[in-house]
Amino acid sequence: MEVKKSKWDRLMWTWKPASEREAGDSVVRNLLLHWFPAKVTKDSLSFRYSFWLGTVSALLFGILAVTGVVLMFLYVPSVERAYPSVKDLEFTVSFGGFIRAVHRISAHLMVAVVFLHLVRVFWTGAYKNGTASNQNRPFNWILGLALLLITFLLSFTGYLLPWDQLAYWAITVGTNIASAAPLVGDKIRFLFLGGNEIGQNTLLRFYVLHCFFLPLLVLFLFSWHMWRVRKDGGLACVDKLALKQKNEKAVPVKSKTYSLLGITRGRTVHVETALVAQDEHTVPSSPNLTRRLLAVMLITLTVVALLAVFVGAPLEEAANPLVTPNPAKAPWYFLWLQELVTDTTIHIGGLTINGALLGGMLVPGLLVLLLGAWPYLDKSSVNSVGVWFAKERRRQNLIFLAVVIFILIFTIIGTFLRGPYWKFYWPWQGWPEVPRRF
Amino acid sequence: MNWKNRDWAWIYWSAVVLLLITGYIFWDNMVPEWGDYQSDFKELVAQRFGQARAKQVPGGIQQVWVPQLGRADRCTTCHLGVSWKGFENAPEPFRTHSKEILDKHPIAQYGCTVCHGGQGQATDEQSAHATIVEHWEDPVLGADLAKTYLVKNREALLQINCNQCHRYDHETTGADYINYAKQLVQQKGCRACHTINGRGGMVGPNLTYIGDQSPEQYDYSRMNGVKTAFAWHLAHFKEPKAMVSTTVMPNFGFGSKEAQALAMLVLSWKKTDLPVEYIPGAKVGDVPSPEELAKEKQMETGEGAFFVKKTCFICHSVSTLGIESATNIGPDLANAAADVQARFGRTLEDFLAAPTGTMAVVLSTQIHLTPEERAEAISKLKAAYQLKLEQEKTARPRK
Amino acid sequence: MKNLKLLASEMSEGRRAFFRRIGQGTLLAAVAGQGYALLRSLVPNVLYEQPQKFKIGLPTQFPEGVTFIEDRRVYVFRNQNTFHVLSAKCTHLGCTVKMVNLNQPETVEIKGRQVQIAQEFHCPCHGSKYYGDGTNYAGPAPKPLACYQIEVSPDDGQLVVDLGETVSRDARLTV
Repeated sequence: MEVKKSKWDRLMWTWKPASEREAGDSVVRNLLLHWFPAKVTKDSLSFRYSFWLGTVSALLFGILAVTGVVLMFLYVPSVERAYPSVKDLEFTVSFGGFIRAVHRISAHLMVAVVFLHLVRVFWTGAYKNGTASNQNRPFNWILGLALLLITFLLSFTGYLLPWDQLAYWAITVGTNIASAAPLVGDKIRFLFLGGNEIGQNTLLRFYVLHCFFLPLLVLFLFSWHMWRVRKDGGLACVDKLALKQKNEKAVPVKSKTYSLLGITRGRTVHVETALVAQDEHTVPSSPNLTRRLLAVMLITLTVVALLAVFVGAPLEEAANPLVTPNPAKAPWYFLWLQELVTDTTIHIGGLTINGALLGGMLVPGLLVLLLGAWPYLDKSSVNSVGVWFAKERRRQNLIFLAVVIFILIFTIIGTFLRGPYWKFYWPWQGWPEVPRRF
Repeated sequence: MNWKNRDWAWIYWSAVVLLLITGYIFWDNMVPEWGDYQSDFKELVAQRFGQARAKQVPGGIQQVWVPQLGRADRCTTCHLGVSWKGFENAPEPFRTHSKEILDKHPIAQYGCTVCHGGQGQATDEQSAHATIVEHWEDPVLGADLAKTYLVKNREALLQINCNQCHRYDHETTGADYINYAKQLVQQKGCRACHTINGRGGMVGPNLTYIGDQSPEQYDYSRMNGVKTAFAWHLAHFKEPKAMVSTTVMPNFGFGSKEAQALAMLVLSWKKTDLPVEYIPGAKVGDVPSPEELAKEKQMETGEGAFFVKKTCFICHSVSTLGIESATNIGPDLANAAADVQARFGRTLEDFLAAPTGTMAVVLSTQIHLTPEERAEAISKLKAAYQLKLEQEKTARPRK
Repeated sequence: MKNLKLLASEMSEGRRAFFRRIGQGTLLAAVAGQGYALLRSLVPNVLYEQPQKFKIGLPTQFPEGVTFIEDRRVYVFRNQNTFHVLSAKCTHLGCTVKMVNLNQPETVEIKGRQVQIAQEFHCPCHGSKYYGDGTNYAGPAPKPLACYQIEVSPDDGQLVVDLGETVSRDARLTV
């Protein structure tokens, strides 16, 4: 039956290819689709393997960029006008409160999702190389770590911008922990703040970092990160598949090459080449990958919008350097550090161990270094690449779990169990009433 | 292809939820709280003044922006009747504002929150009135708060904000609680122990900007009831030892009214950054010396008072009548009777009726003389000339 | 039996297509709504600008002739007891025009009438020229200077200029 192609169909063919040929072509002909390989393995598309966490974090970055640009028209980065401009967002700008809430919630979610992505990659051993040549997944892991740290910094610089009590004191705590770095700590703090105190200089340089430099750095590193994924042959589960395939029975292929002793059997180059063409493990990227991508996009957007409407974004009083709120807490993703600093500040007799240095710098510094070095220290075999909780890697997975749980517990303590004066409060114990003026 | 359909299911169901959320934020945006108030007000105006006037009622968020005070108040979005004559008995929020205060404190120059308190930038009632809103410590100082603190006069708390500008007045019309409190400060000698505005003792804390002190910095350990700075001051004034066990501040036997007045006064003592034009009673200019003041008084009440009243003395002295000009741009008018004849060949009457030169300009723009005033000027000038002749006669030695 | 099966599958085909259309429509509406929200937020609802209607002082505070109110860019004319207001914004590209007093009042023809003018307005940007009544006669200015409404405030008797209301060139306020 000859179906007459409408104008719409002719325009949209790359998204709805009618044949294998068109599917392959669409990746080459469509600018947006050139990002993807022509075919992907069905395993790569699995939700249960990767939970699409990397994609979700990239999508959240996209949402942040779009809402961020709109907010840049409406927010004023001056210490006198920052807070009033945010109040105006809440009260006089149409949809202002919603856009702001979407931005803030996406930011918090992105920190969480990037972290979860790191956890997933570790537990599936996806930072390891497989059997293909010229793979360098350990390096991609380092790129990912860099992206994680930049995500933290993006969130941190953005946290200051509303210039309310929450923002001002969170950054006070955060930058003071950073100044505990040996030798260069104070100088770093001076450069970061643009002075000795948190003021207009700080606000402006945090704003420029937040809106321009850090997003640019993310775009650059993210592109490299994705390019490396392609160079490494795709997600790590592809390597597992390749190994499995080697044991699969393959139909001998007639070829014109003669081996030494006649027609060869088993898996020769020709068998492999023929297998690629008729691989039942792969599907064309367009429309399968794109369809899943659309689904993940919408689910992410919907979850963010729901949270924006039902949870919203907080705004406390205008920043007042003379009044410290009690307690003053760092942003939630640094609260495990703040709690750690508390717990590593130990008084032995007349001696005090500098908790800011120990808990604030050394422990997290060590963790980051360890994380970066781990792919190079990991001696497990290629059989554990792209495998959830591979038996061979059980010990390191458990150690990792322990560290994650430790971080989670400290975050929970810092968030929910620490009250005024950083005293310990059980959840059922009410905090003392905050006095008001009238 | 099972997963293909499942993917589409996810897509379409997310789209449905997203559409619902989008619908909700659109509804929230299109039906704001103030919309109802504005349509109610339009109806009220239509009833009382007719449809034509009702059409003139503005729509949308109304903002009074006062850059000198750093305020952007949106109260008039709902409080639409404040400047309308005729709504004195209308229900709030449409009631007309009292005229005498508005005449002295026009809304365009003061906004609303600088006197009434509240969160001016808000556009819904609860956030704007801010009596129980978290993270905004400046509520509307109105009847609600007054009821909580059992202040007899429900509008009295407002006086706290009056005193932020009128702090240095001895007495401010309309601020009876504050005036009473200032009297008490004089009578009871608070300055014996407390420094207030640079003068006072050091036994107790410096109270100059005590109103700026954060509520968290008070000691509430001995307080029952709600923990607020205002309540602390009330309790402290009634019985100082109840709040601060180690104090030597005596119990002055203050009743509720005294405690309330003093608490209001004390909370009004804040640092303010007022432009000069907002400081009550501030005159910007040179301060004349006592001698200058005495001379001015003498000129205003003496024989030459006419020339002061009609501002001739700005340019002309009239020496024999005791009028001294500060500028002496024109000649001494004591000579005018002869001068005018000598210079212009005309009589005084003639010249004043049809002046030439500078006088033509001045008498047509700045100084306007009625025929009666002109006659008075001429007679006075002639008298001044007579006096001059007599003085010269007595000065010249008789040969 | 086969026909029934075919019929059933065709019907479910139609239903599927219908639901697909609804789904696509919902998706489009949701995305369009979000996009509109983002763009609408950039249209300001409040302006931090000076009000269009403002008081300029009591009539007695104005001398005979022309007074320039610099920060509001208007010229206030007083002739004995009558007042009128001209905009100082050149109608070409918006520069502030300068007043030039003529040594002797001139008589010019404007719209067929002989009018006496005592001053002119010249624009420093591109050389537009206007007669004292605001009529443009030289340079690139396409229109005469605007005339704004002036009235007396009922509260305190001050003169009130309304930049939102234009009036005819001959309109005068008599105090």
